[in-house]
Amino acid sequence: MTLAKWKVGVVSCSGEEIPEGTISRIATRLVLEKLRPDETVTICLPLFLAGGEGERTFARLFPTITVDGCEKKCAKIGTEKYSGKPFASLVVTDVLKKCPTLTLKSRDKLSAEEWEFAEKVAKEIAEKVDEALRAQNKQLRSEKQ
Amino acid sequence: MSERGKVVVVACAGMDKPLGSVASASVFKVVEELRPQKVELACIPPLMAGVSAHSELIKNMPVITVDGCAERCATKLIVKSGGKIRGRIFVPDSAKKRNLLPESASHLGPNGEKLAENIAQEIASLVDTLVQGT
Repeated sequence: MTLAKWKVGVVSCSGEEIPEGTISRIATRLVLEKLRPDETVTICLPLFLAGGEGERTFARLFPTITVDGCEKKCAKIGTEKYSGKPFASLVVTDVLKKCPTLTLKSRDKLSAEEWEFAEKVAKEIAEKVDEALRAQNKQLRSEKQ
Repeated sequence: MSERGKVVVVACAGMDKPLGSVASASVFKVVEELRPQKVELACIPPLMAGVSAHSELIKNMPVITVDGCAERCATKLIVKSGGKIRGRIFVPDSAKKRNLLPESASHLGPNGEKLAENIAQEIASLVDTLVQGT
């Protein structure tokens, strides 16, 4: 793994059992590919849990944002267990509470409403990415002084 | 007959690789379209977090793993968790055999969709064999 400076690792749950997991994966990809492509990398959670040293080292050295589909918070728990406390943790079911009329149905093909929701979650992740980078810059400045 | 006549399917999440996305897409097709009554889908992280319902599931029912890359995380983690693997799909081999590659991790494209469909059929056949033959 090549470690670039000032990257934020986004760790999404696999979430294959529930539609919220699909949202967490799609939202993460939207951040990686469209919203913050130069500032983020993803960490493959199964590889991380299976003992991937590159993934674990990255998460120890760089800020991470975990994105979980449900209250089990597997991505957050796994990151804390093997690398350290994430900079921020998002849970899709929490974001869903802000959209009371939306019901997620499919794990496979998203409806237009579900895509819109995934984009909303992606924006929240991107905001956390910006916060993480600001915090890192602030820390760097204070270390230089 | 396998317990409750069902098989557990576990795919790697493969967030960082297009073939990981194919793995996920193929198992969704099996559980939502092809064999909804015969398949339980289990995701990997809860297994590692020790969620008991998932742990029991993989210990008591035959498991098919679907791996998207050479790390074979789904297989490794099911073995580590004490699951009974009765079938394995390695997506890179399937892609090579069929000469089909997805466009990207977020957009499979026509070839990626076709590959996922083919792998889903392969998983469904394995499910039928396991349900009937045990």
